[in-house]
Amino acid sequence: MTGNKAAATAVKLARVEVLSAFPVTPQTTITQYLSEFAANGEIKGEFVNAEGELSTQVIVQAASRAGARTFVCTSGPGQLYMHHPMHSTSSSRLPVVMATVHRGNKSMQPDHTDLMSQTWTGWIQLYCENNQEILDTHLMAYKIAEDKRVRLPVAIGYDGYVLSYTAEPVEVPSQKSVDDWLPPYEYQSILPKDYDPATGGRGFGGGGRDPQQGWITHHEALLNALPVIKEINEDFGKVFGRKYGNGLTETYKTEGAEAVMVAMGSLAGTARAAIDNLQADGKPIGLIKLKCYQPFAVEDFKEYGKKFKAIGMIDRNVCLGHGGAGYRLIRNSLYDMDERPKVLQFHAGLAGKEVRVGDFERVGEKILKAAKGDKVSQVEWV
Amino acid sequence: MDELTITPGSACQGCGAALAARLAFKALGPNTIRHGVPCCPDSATMTPRGGGGVFEGGGAALTGTWRALKAKGITDVQVVGFFGDGGTYDIGLQGISAAAERNENIWVITKDNEAYMNTGNQRSSSTPLYAMTSTTPVGSVIKGKQTGKKNIPMIFAAHHVPFVATASVGYPEDLIAKIEYGKTLTGFKMLIIQSPCPVGWRYDPAKTIEVARSAVQTGIWPLYEITDGEKFKLTYKPRELKPVTEYYKPQARFRHVTDEQLAGIQEDTTKNWEKLLKSDELGQLLI
Ligand SMILES: Cc1ncc(C[n+]2csc(CCOP(=O)(O)OP(=O)(O)O)c2C)c(N)n1
Ligand code: SF4
Ligand SMILES: [Mg+2]
Repeated sequence: MTGNKAAATAVKLARVEVLSAFPVTPQTTITQYLSEFAANGEIKGEFVNAEGELSTQVIVQAASRAGARTFVCTSGPGQLYMHHPMHSTSSSRLPVVMATVHRGNKSMQPDHTDLMSQTWTGWIQLYCENNQEILDTHLMAYKIAEDKRVRLPVAIGYDGYVLSYTAEPVEVPSQKSVDDWLPPYEYQSILPKDYDPATGGRGFGGGGRDPQQGWITHHEALLNALPVIKEINEDFGKVFGRKYGNGLTETYKTEGAEAVMVAMGSLAGTARAAIDNLQADGKPIGLIKLKCYQPFAVEDFKEYGKKFKAIGMIDRNVCLGHGGAGYRLIRNSLYDMDERPKVLQFHAGLAGKEVRVGDFERVGEKILKAAKGDKVSQVEWV
Repeated sequence: MDELTITPGSACQGCGAALAARLAFKALGPNTIRHGVPCCPDSATMTPRGGGGVFEGGGAALTGTWRALKAKGITDVQVVGFFGDGGTYDIGLQGISAAAERNENIWVITKDNEAYMNTGNQRSSSTPLYAMTSTTPVGSVIKGKQTGKKNIPMIFAAHHVPFVATASVGYPEDLIAKIEYGKTLTGFKMLIIQSPCPVGWRYDPAKTIEVARSAVQTGIWPLYEITDGEKFKLTYKPRELKPVTEYYKPQARFRHVTDEQLAGIQEDTTKNWEKLLKSDELGQLLI
């Protein structure tokens, strides 16, 4: 099953009520699968084929506010085009779930720029390594987004082509097991006679005398989501037999390791192979997969900072003029420690540049050098 | 019919848009969800809000609300957008056109004050020919807006939607009757309400109704309805139109308009009226 079919299948299993999408490569086939499901009566919901991505975001926002479970999906340019209403979806605390099939904006090929440039809209961002994880993460995303302790939209990022159009074996849970695990979405209705002014968009969390309150509440909501994401990942594991680290980060072969590389999305798969080879050669390096990019698992990285002498972040992005997004967050997490590990920056796979296992083996060697105290360059474009 | 607007609102004295909201929501009734986009603070209503709308997203927001209700089997609620001309004619046009093409079961009601009033009277594509606004000032070389008003009702008639109509705050019975008729229809419904703005149009706030009536009586803003993009009916037919100068003279936004320009406007207005009369006789929209 391709990554896009895994996403569409999860949406069907989640019994989504209002969907909206506009075609853009490499997201397009999700829309086609969903249309087929709708045409065959496998999806009962309303599918709005909108005239552009901005409208798709506004449609699911309004539908979510009116109490429907919703789904929207896009890639690169479409993601950038729908930026404005993404703010009001999250400000209104609406549990919209969105798939972002990564496409960079300097080529058709993937990098994480599309979704990462939405960071300031305050959505939860979860990244996937393979097609099974795409299906499972969509199911978890509804549970996280709709949890009363969270009530925030969730974006699921996965690399275009590499996952979207590549078939892998995927285990599909039964409809009954999903129904049992994911109860129907209930929302404070905006229907007549049941009017709750608290659902009015921009003002969320505001009122009172502090004009900054809306931002404070939104920020806190994201931070408060961290333990809930962990809990739901754990619970998913119990019911479906698969989980993804602690839901925020995952360690791979870090037992006895002196250093780690950190990777996101499909690059984590390449990194696993590199770690296998390096460890086979007796090199003490492991992998940390960063699944939840926003909110950021500061506490996890504090623990890693105690355990490892060097951490190398592989970013499939660059915040221009600043640096890699993951790298900056990791360094920030470690600042207050008395003894800090070395933190190196690697940029890899931007604009879909091919990354081989050998490339990451070299990355691993360099991180180990830094762990030993050797002088190495701080930033490298792989 | 109950009042559903909350008074006093924060609109200016003599605000036509505030009156448009009052009339429209009274006719729509309490079983209504109101969507708004950024615009002048016309009149708040007690009906539930769709909320959070971005300026460019009116048509999509209405679609989302309607589809959610439909998915839940609720079909007796009026899903209503109450937007400014900026939200309908300009930044939101694409999404509203798409909603019309999909024939969503929604209302797009526009309080047309012929400029972006909320941000300080900048021109919109609804601003009429020669009107002075803050972005079409009267300079020594260029005087006022150099292009005419976009014909939005006819653009939507061409979408072949169930109902498109014009209305005026100067003719409340007509406005209310159109909403009551629209409520019996399923699908996309549009009502453009000309809503004079004393601040932007520069006339005495006590004269809003007079200005609104004179737009209709001179044929500048004819009142009509179009069903299914074909059936046409003028809902106000004076035996004879008043001269357009009666509408233009009291408004200082037109103060610089020359007699020659006025003659041109008169000619265009008469021509348009004759065409509408012919459509009315046939009961069929002639384009
Ligand atoms: C995307 C976006 N662009 C610009 C604005 C600024 N803005 C708010 S209201 C408005 C004009 C509204 O004009 P109109 O729709 O005619 O309503 P009116 O104020 O005249 O009632 C503008 C330009 C905005 N809120 N959002
Ligand atoms: S500026 Fe005009 S449209 Fe806006 S509130 Fe005042 S009178 Fe009404
Ligand atoms: Mg206006």
